[in-house]
Amino acid sequence: MPGFLSATLLNAAIQMLIAALFASAFNVLAGQGGMLSFGHCAYYGIGAFATLHAMNAFSGQGLLPTPLLPVFGAIGGAVTGLAAGWFSTKRSGVYFSMITLALAELLHALAPHLKSVFGGEAGVPSMRMPAWGFTFGSAAEVYYLTLAWVVVSLALLYFFTRTPLGRLTLGLRENAHRLKFLGYNVHMARVMVFVISATFAGIAGGLLAMSNEAANYSLFEVRLSSEVVLNSYIGGVGVFFGPALGAAVMTFFGYAVSDLTRSWLLYQGIIFVAVMMFMPSGLSGIVAWWQGSKQSAATLLRYMLGWTAGTLVSAAGVVFTVELLQRLMADDYQFSLVAGRAWPAIQLFGRAWLPGAITTWLLPVALLAIGIALLKFTSARWQALNDTEAA
Amino acid sequence: MEFFTVSLINGTIYGLLLFMVSAGLTLIFGMMGVLNFAHTSFYMIGAYLAYSLQKVVGFWPAIIIAPIIVGFLGVVVERFFLRRVHKYGHAHELLVTFGLSFIIAELIKLFFGNYPVNYQVPASLNFAAFQLFGTNYPFYRVMMGGISLLMFGLIFLLLSRTRVGIVVRSAIYRPKMAEALGHNVPLVFMGVFGVGAGLAGLAGAVAGAFYTTNPNMALELGVLVFVVVVIGGLGSLEGAMVASILIGLISSFAVGVDLTAADLLAYVGAGNWAQQVGGLLTLKVSSLAATIPFALMLLVLLVRPSGLMGEKE
Repeated sequence: MPGFLSATLLNAAIQMLIAALFASAFNVLAGQGGMLSFGHCAYYGIGAFATLHAMNAFSGQGLLPTPLLPVFGAIGGAVTGLAAGWFSTKRSGVYFSMITLALAELLHALAPHLKSVFGGEAGVPSMRMPAWGFTFGSAAEVYYLTLAWVVVSLALLYFFTRTPLGRLTLGLRENAHRLKFLGYNVHMARVMVFVISATFAGIAGGLLAMSNEAANYSLFEVRLSSEVVLNSYIGGVGVFFGPALGAAVMTFFGYAVSDLTRSWLLYQGIIFVAVMMFMPSGLSGIVAWWQGSKQSAATLLRYMLGWTAGTLVSAAGVVFTVELLQRLMADDYQFSLVAGRAWPAIQLFGRAWLPGAITTWLLPVALLAIGIALLKFTSARWQALNDTEAA
Repeated sequence: MEFFTVSLINGTIYGLLLFMVSAGLTLIFGMMGVLNFAHTSFYMIGAYLAYSLQKVVGFWPAIIIAPIIVGFLGVVVERFFLRRVHKYGHAHELLVTFGLSFIIAELIKLFFGNYPVNYQVPASLNFAAFQLFGTNYPFYRVMMGGISLLMFGLIFLLLSRTRVGIVVRSAIYRPKMAEALGHNVPLVFMGVFGVGAGLAGLAGAVAGAFYTTNPNMALELGVLVFVVVVIGGLGSLEGAMVASILIGLISSFAVGVDLTAADLLAYVGAGNWAQQVGGLLTLKVSSLAATIPFALMLLVLLVRPSGLMGEKE
């Protein structure tokens, strides 16, 4: 595949793979274990720094050649995961979420002061040294390295869900009380799941360190932790590959859209809330819906088209409004205003729009109205269809 | 002595402010079991709304109108977002508020830009309340503390002395029973959510003028408020008060302490060893001020997992 991709696309592919692994690691804890961590960037970041220090220490020589160095990410993630997991799994539910968030914040507040470990503002730089006949100088080689690690890690994570502990993880989510009565040590089980999740998050961080050859303490920002939550739930945590799908899709979406608009994060938030409200099982829920439905494929396709059209039209309305507002509120536009004179036109989508004119605002409102009407109509029809089936 | 007194007063007032924000959060949390991630976003909206309004209607009306609008927003969030996803479980409600906090922060950036706005204490309130060791102590700080105390008193009286309070408390502890007795529990939830959001909005409107009003203020305070709720204990108003003041005092004192762990170890003769080890041991307490609330939280979790005043799970 790398042969066909440009360097930037290849880089995007690497980021997608890393995000997919990170989200899958997160999912073991959140989706399968029912423990919603809001500070998972801590183990990701630690993994990255552990790998960077290992890269500097071993220079890719001897028993630990460059391709194996993400192992240190795993070790770093596991060790911090053990410490953090022991604390945070003392409580469950929302308390757990808050504690993980606070632990990540603790690390974020501490990291800038520990210059020897996290390198301060400048961060820790490193170099990928040649090993095994590869130079690791080109993006393609890094891509294959990342791909190999991600595939193996995902396979291991999938295998984990089949092990007794993996099955127990689902029990932790569904009914921890009952596990306790069955004689399991719930706290220990939670800690073990936490450690496994943190280990693979650490590997993802290590891969990031390999691809960027540097990192600084901004890796511990809440932003990164929230991103993995958003990605995983948009993809759907009910299915093993859901979070990976969500992370890959959203990373690519971000890569494609962030150059076009400054409001990319706003769109990400809106997509997330919309998915949570109307598609609670995420994108992968569509597959389950398709397979689980008794209707004919043609009928399903028709309804799917209806919903897609409605979503696209309302999305167009939202995008139009946001972009218009963004340009309207931008500093250079606000400074160009002269009191008493009409507001100048805004260039958007190859046309000039007058912010004072009603027609400018009528268009997005109309788009939104049509889109929502389409969605409501399709949903009502779907409901009616199912009701007649049931009757 | 001067450092001690000033830190004591500043810490108490900062703590009271923290309480203003966490009071609504802990009430909502105790009642619905929903941790509202968007709660400090309401605080931020309060500050920005008051900033925009005071240019038009003046400072005092803005302080009063902004929380009311924020409270109304809270009602909208409860009615049209949270209630819709209630059937999918608590995790989903949490995630929706999390997404909303994201959207609110981005919208604020869209409308007000990615930098602090110039929201200041009005000149009429910018005077000294009293002299303290030769320096003026700002009246506005004292006023913020006063508003918070007033609020605590009002909520406490409302909850413990009125009929509304009885219904609200019963809906918190035994929602099914309250419903069976003919009380409209969803309406109570909506009301509490609105009031909680309004309180956060009030805190934002008042404190935004004194501290900086910027698009990150929700995030900065958000984590701290969660720490308050964990330390204070589930849904306990008094616990939130104690935890807020505790955190306020600790952060205010820590900033002025230049000691390091190595200095302390020097008393037992291990100073040189600690200097050589470096790392955490040679960091000044003042530079660790931001991390102390989290350390305190871990300590409380170890000793009393249900929080200072929380009930045992």
